[in-house]
Amino acid sequence: MGSAFIPIMIDAFSVGGLYALTALGIGLIFSVMRLANFAHAEFVTVPAYALFVLSDHPVVVSISAAVLVAVVLALVTERAAFRPLRGIDPATMLIASFAVSMFIQRLLVFAFDSRIKPVNPLAVLDGSVALFGAQVNLLKLTTVITCLVLLIALTVFLKYTRFGLEMRAAAEDFTMSRLLGVRANRVIATAFVLSALLAAVVAVLFSAQTGFVHPRFGLQIVIIAFVATVIGGLGNLLGAAVGGFLVGVVSTLLQALLPPDLRPFREAFVFLLVILVLLFRPQGLFPARGLKERI
Amino acid sequence: MFDLAPVRRVWIYFGKWENALRTGQNRGNDTMLIRHLFITTAAAALVAGGSALAEDTVKVGFVMSYSGWFEPIDASTIRGAMLAIDDINDAGGVLGRQIEVVSFDNRSEPALGADGAIDVIDQGAVAVLFPSDFDFGAPGAFIAQEAGVISLSGASDPNFGVQGIGPFAYSISNAAQSQGAILAEWAYNEMGWRSAYTLLDTTIAFTNSLCEAFDRRWSELAGDDALLGSDTFRNDDPTIAAQVTRINGLPEAPDAIMLCSYAPGGPSAIRQLRAAGLDQPVMTGESLDGDYWVGAVPGLSDFYVVNYGSYVGDDPNPDVNAFFARYAEVYDREPDVSYGIRGYSLFQAWARAAERAGSFDGAAVAAELDRFDNEPLAIGPTTFTPDLHIATTRPMTIMQAQDGEFSALGTYAPETVHLD
Repeated sequence: MGSAFIPIMIDAFSVGGLYALTALGIGLIFSVMRLANFAHAEFVTVPAYALFVLSDHPVVVSISAAVLVAVVLALVTERAAFRPLRGIDPATMLIASFAVSMFIQRLLVFAFDSRIKPVNPLAVLDGSVALFGAQVNLLKLTTVITCLVLLIALTVFLKYTRFGLEMRAAAEDFTMSRLLGVRANRVIATAFVLSALLAAVVAVLFSAQTGFVHPRFGLQIVIIAFVATVIGGLGNLLGAAVGGFLVGVVSTLLQALLPPDLRPFREAFVFLLVILVLLFRPQGLFPARGLKERI
Repeated sequence: MFDLAPVRRVWIYFGKWENALRTGQNRGNDTMLIRHLFITTAAAALVAGGSALAEDTVKVGFVMSYSGWFEPIDASTIRGAMLAIDDINDAGGVLGRQIEVVSFDNRSEPALGADGAIDVIDQGAVAVLFPSDFDFGAPGAFIAQEAGVISLSGASDPNFGVQGIGPFAYSISNAAQSQGAILAEWAYNEMGWRSAYTLLDTTIAFTNSLCEAFDRRWSELAGDDALLGSDTFRNDDPTIAAQVTRINGLPEAPDAIMLCSYAPGGPSAIRQLRAAGLDQPVMTGESLDGDYWVGAVPGLSDFYVVNYGSYVGDDPNPDVNAFFARYAEVYDREPDVSYGIRGYSLFQAWARAAERAGSFDGAAVAAELDRFDNEPLAIGPTTFTPDLHIATTRPMTIMQAQDGEFSALGTYAPETVHLD
């Protein structure tokens, strides 16, 4: 192990960090409106396409545009697709989010075709630095640091701002918080904006790693993040972050440590762990208070 | 400042959709291909003397992905096939009859291929073109087999033939096993590499067969110790960080890396290898053919891929260059993969066999196809036998990328191919 330890841990943390941010984006919306937003995949894909379209422009411009596009997309889908369904059975909303997801995906296929499109938003981060005697990829290091900073910033926002307080109140008991003066539209819109901001960051970091975008770009990461929010505890933000991080770290470590013959079955091991977690803690590692059965 | 083409395409699509709703038709085909089909059909009608009786034409089916994620993969095959049909029709048709195409869009859903096969065979198709992939082509090909209709595909899997589908299914491609052997022999004999590492994307059958064939042939040539290791990933893995770190941690760096994958996972893997400072030559099979993805790995060098001919105009075979020049002219777009020549050769083969058989009957045409012994087709000398309906010994072109530019290195035929 020795010299390989640091690169492997950076690999694991950078993957875990991306999953954690994605799981948080899903968890934020779920906690306030009980919507398992499958269209989160497109909140990641569409800003990555913005990076592609603006790839001839300075990085600051293309990244700002990507963030803006994600926020606008989130607000528009909330207004057009999810607001009319608010208060309806969560299963209906889930199906609606599938519809939104497919619609946007098909739109992207028609606009750009389904082939991969090159993007390179963080070309400055090519190369590596020495860290505790090991060579560490600069992009991965940046990913780890960005994820940490965002997690701290989000915690501060939720704990110490008025919006944060409203969101936590809404997550705990939406009706009661409305009775106490929290405006439903505003708190849900805030959740969508935050979710979109996280998605845009994931889009930039993830596309810098892959070097391209395609219509199913966000899906590959969001599917895993969904699993992460479930084992973390649906509706609990800490749970979502921890769940995302765990899934990323565990799958990277399994890939690094399993004997070659078993590596193709890595996913089976990951999901075996997921099943075990759910068997012993059906509500997830950190059950959401608002979701507990009250008998 | 902005590229408005994508917006325009969405606009055109919705226009077409609206139009289709009004006229009661609903098939989201590529505008240009529709136009092309119309022109071909119209030309066929004109050549037939204005009174196109049913007997003056013979129908072939295209059950392909005209829309959805598989569309870009099938599009160049379709364009190549249309070029062949134009050429055949210009030269008087097959058995004196002009070829007419009936098409069906499987919308990139493999299962719809079966509906498509039923649809085009009902309309009278005597041969059907299916997508260049076993999983996509097989559902329709089974139907065609039962109906006694010839299935044509570019699937690089020997199962698209006698053993997997039946005696009426033919693939024009080199089998994955052949491609793996070519790369191993070329790497050892021509490039003098002595150690290799294989990185296998386990998602599809093709890449599994490719790496398996490479490993086996490589071990025969260079010895069992010459394979320093192998690792696997899935095409939709967001990262192959652990795999890359493992190669970097090998006690001895390999001379070359054999990567068995396809887009998008393949280019992503190459990018991650290069970002981690692994600058070894990377080899791969036809599934990563094309230069459309090269932007994902800026300045890509030391990359080698086998394909069906250089589409950038420097193939050792002038006929291949002429084909791609014509492709570019007719379709007003530069070819960015070599798959077009497969579509062309499939109908070249079918028409020649039908002429020799003097009939469009499936069994009669198949009997003639089975007699192909190094038959000169656009794609190269092609041999079919009653047991094997895919190429194994035909030479393939090896393309290289240096500084992000592709060029042909030469053509290589395999010496030993293991199909079992």
